[in-house]
Amino acid sequence: MNLLLSDDYLLQDYPENITNTIRSGHSTCVRFNRRGDFLASGRVDGTVVIWDLETMGVARKLRGHSKNITSLSWSRCGRYLLSACQGWKAILWDLQNGKRHREVRFRAPVYGAELHPWNHYQFAAALFEDQPMLVDITDSADVRYVLPPVQKRPNTEGDAALKEKHAKEDAKHMTTAIVYTAAGDHLLAGTTKGRLNIIDAKTREIIYSEKIASGIITTLRLTESGKDLLVNAQDRIIRTFHVPNLSAADLDPDTIQIPLEHKFQDVVNRLSWNHVAFSATGEYVAASTYNNHELYIWERGHGSLVRMLEGPKEEQGVIEWHPHRALLAACGLETGRINIWSVTSPQRWSALAPDFAEVEENVEYIEKEDEFDIHPQEEIQKRRLDQEDEDVDVLTVENGGGLSEEVAAFRMPILFNLGESDSEEEFVNVGLGTLRRKSPGDQDEGEMTGEEKGPGKKAGGTGRGRGKKK
Amino acid sequence: MSELGSSAATPIAEPPSKRRRVHDDSLDSTPRYGSPDGAAQSSPPNTDHLPGQGLSIRRAPRTTHDKTHHHRHRDEPPIRPNYQPHLLLQGHTRAISQVRISPDGRWIASASADGTAKIWDASTGAHLETLVGHMAGVSCLAWAPDSNTLATGSDDKAIRLWDRVTGSPAHAVGRRDNTGEAAGVAMKALIGKGGRRARVGVSGEGVRGGRTGRGALLGHHNYVYSLAFSPKGNILVSGSYDEAVFLWDVRAGRLMRSLPAHSDPVSGVDFCRDGTLVCLRTLVHEDNPAVTNVCFSPNGRFVLAFNLDNSIRLWDYVSGSVKKTYQGHTNKGFSIGGCFGVLSDTDDGIEKEDADQEGTRRQAFIASASEDGDIVMWDVESKQVIQRIKRAHEGVCFSVDVHGGTMVSAGQDGLIKVFRHRPRNLSLKQENGESDGLNGANGHLGKSDTPDAVAADEELQRQVEADAGSPGQHVKEEHL
Repeated sequence: MNLLLSDDYLLQDYPENITNTIRSGHSTCVRFNRRGDFLASGRVDGTVVIWDLETMGVARKLRGHSKNITSLSWSRCGRYLLSACQGWKAILWDLQNGKRHREVRFRAPVYGAELHPWNHYQFAAALFEDQPMLVDITDSADVRYVLPPVQKRPNTEGDAALKEKHAKEDAKHMTTAIVYTAAGDHLLAGTTKGRLNIIDAKTREIIYSEKIASGIITTLRLTESGKDLLVNAQDRIIRTFHVPNLSAADLDPDTIQIPLEHKFQDVVNRLSWNHVAFSATGEYVAASTYNNHELYIWERGHGSLVRMLEGPKEEQGVIEWHPHRALLAACGLETGRINIWSVTSPQRWSALAPDFAEVEENVEYIEKEDEFDIHPQEEIQKRRLDQEDEDVDVLTVENGGGLSEEVAAFRMPILFNLGESDSEEEFVNVGLGTLRRKSPGDQDEGEMTGEEKGPGKKAGGTGRGRGKKK
Repeated sequence: MSELGSSAATPIAEPPSKRRRVHDDSLDSTPRYGSPDGAAQSSPPNTDHLPGQGLSIRRAPRTTHDKTHHHRHRDEPPIRPNYQPHLLLQGHTRAISQVRISPDGRWIASASADGTAKIWDASTGAHLETLVGHMAGVSCLAWAPDSNTLATGSDDKAIRLWDRVTGSPAHAVGRRDNTGEAAGVAMKALIGKGGRRARVGVSGEGVRGGRTGRGALLGHHNYVYSLAFSPKGNILVSGSYDEAVFLWDVRAGRLMRSLPAHSDPVSGVDFCRDGTLVCLRTLVHEDNPAVTNVCFSPNGRFVLAFNLDNSIRLWDYVSGSVKKTYQGHTNKGFSIGGCFGVLSDTDDGIEKEDADQEGTRRQAFIASASEDGDIVMWDVESKQVIQRIKRAHEGVCFSVDVHGGTMVSAGQDGLIKVFRHRPRNLSLKQENGESDGLNGANGHLGKSDTPDAVAADEELQRQVEADAGSPGQHVKEEHL
């Protein structure tokens, strides 16, 4: 909301309740763009859907994959989106025209692919049962570099048996997650053996490796500043680490330390975690739970659990925290809906009449001596006009928003023909309300709903009947 | 009607015998239209027809304001609007309620009580499209930020979105049949044959509050009165006589939210530059004169409200106070429109040595229509009338829009006029014979030598009448 008018600083900085459910097909992964006005979601059928968070409506659909989308990554400018799928390929989309900008094929399904934070012509991909890759698509023919899954052993001169043993061991190390550091000159990779590798993006060599978890590392996330690392592993523990400045000129690989900050776990229920996310500032950590419906939010200062978010009776998969608002998006595993939690700001009705003020309790009002005197109209008018000698500046834009650096940022074109290009979609029209849902039988074909979980909305919507239009 | 088909712009083609460089309204405007502070303040802005002393006199009342910003330009004369008639666009058969220049400045769209909207080329004045589909008079329109889509709101309670290029309705969501398109074609055909705009059965096109075919956005219970796009173009806001403000998802054509906070017809809506705030007419003033129109300042910090008591007020919406009141035009009974205009050095034709961003001087002013047919422009700070185009329109002038050096106005007479800003220092030079080539587009206006604006307007008017030979062209209808 408008910064000048809102009292958002009074509100909580983590989401409280579910506010929207949006749906287009069965979504399996979501990602916000850097500005936070669009949300990309990847579907089981390989379609990538871009949502406009202001309207909660579909802004674009990208078709090109045929298998489940496994990861999404936005470029810094918000114009390009990299999507990776189980169908062995990654596509870089140009959202200006909705066409695929580049397509890269691999020899294995892709776990995840992440764009370089500054250069959208470079990305790193973690592959299933294969070595991770660094792909440079600056030229028309893409250049791939295989990244090592394990650190080089010092004793390369050893005997053949030992070598063979090492090679066997190394073959078991698979990289399952890979992210760029904030500056983009290093890569952090997590392996099936619970090791964290730091890879120099230039030399493509592991400069640091340490076992940080006892299970497979499933998710690695960095805060926007790149100083904090969040690791989810299959040992039911979520860990946060401090990441040193790896771009420092005097970096000595031997002295790198990645100190552990917190371990988050549920020791009572022994829950394991599907997916984790940092909040906008990294102050909070959110996680979706395996075989459980709740989302957990911890606060990082003390490492305490602050909230368990109730949602629909459904296990949530991938979760994402909005880049600067207290808004959390999660994919329902079963239905593929995207559920959005946020804070609902209370309506300030007194704003409608600025000359009235809200008071807690009755106050006896003593009028001023001249308060209700009647002055001649002209005099009032004149006095009023005389007061207007302040200088006003109607042109200068105040840069209070924080995100105003991208004034000439990419602006996605507005499309009107989304429905036409979409043969499997059917829209249900329900009166004036915003509730539109198809009858339960054909839900899985892929429809779009924008339910608003507001009081009274539901009743109004159903009251008008669910006539199917078409 | 055949006039619809043959509607055409009338550029003032041959060098007219009247010189429109200077608008000589200093003689009679002071007593009649002077701001309440009296003649002392309102006369200096009008003295520039005396080329010798114009500069110094003009600058005198502004020095106090100049020092607050534009420090480095204190010695230069302020940029002052000097809009001169450039083109005359005709084709509407009834009063024009709103006219707007597209954000890229290349197109002009007009909405008329005759139930159509028209798109014109802003530079040549060529008539490009007539948008037919509304069943009643069109009272408002808005350009999408990409200048490719136009929204119109009508007394038939519908909002329609149009593709600027094809002139056909822009929506195609959720419908695979093309009744809407067919109906549009049928209507166009009818018009082409010269028949009256028939009531073709398009009423089934739109669906209440939901997805539509190539139809209208329906949901309002009464006349749609004002429209605005969000800066990103994804949301359209509409204000209606039914006292509601609706937010529409432009892409899907669905009603997103309704803001039922009003108990009066909503006559003005606008979007803040960062799209976070929709402005309404809820500003409360002691005596509550009805607000007919609102618009945000270019930086989104203030709101300009057009009141029906002959004044325009600049509100600080955060503190809820009036900062400035602009008077001097007539506005009592109609919903008239105006806007902020911004002129910069480039519009002024001054080539700066240091052409960096800091070096560009920008000067804002406020332009508004007036019910006596005038167009009035005020200085934002001093509240003085800095230019007045007299009798721009016969009857009420309903709407004015400014885009840089171009200003367009429309009125009850069904005509649209395009004005171009002409830097005063250039014209002064020209008068002294120092330079002769004006910037090409309006050069043909500046060749002759009669500095009598009233006569010039008469000439324009004669031309209008000559061109508008057919009957029905000048049907005057009271708007709303």
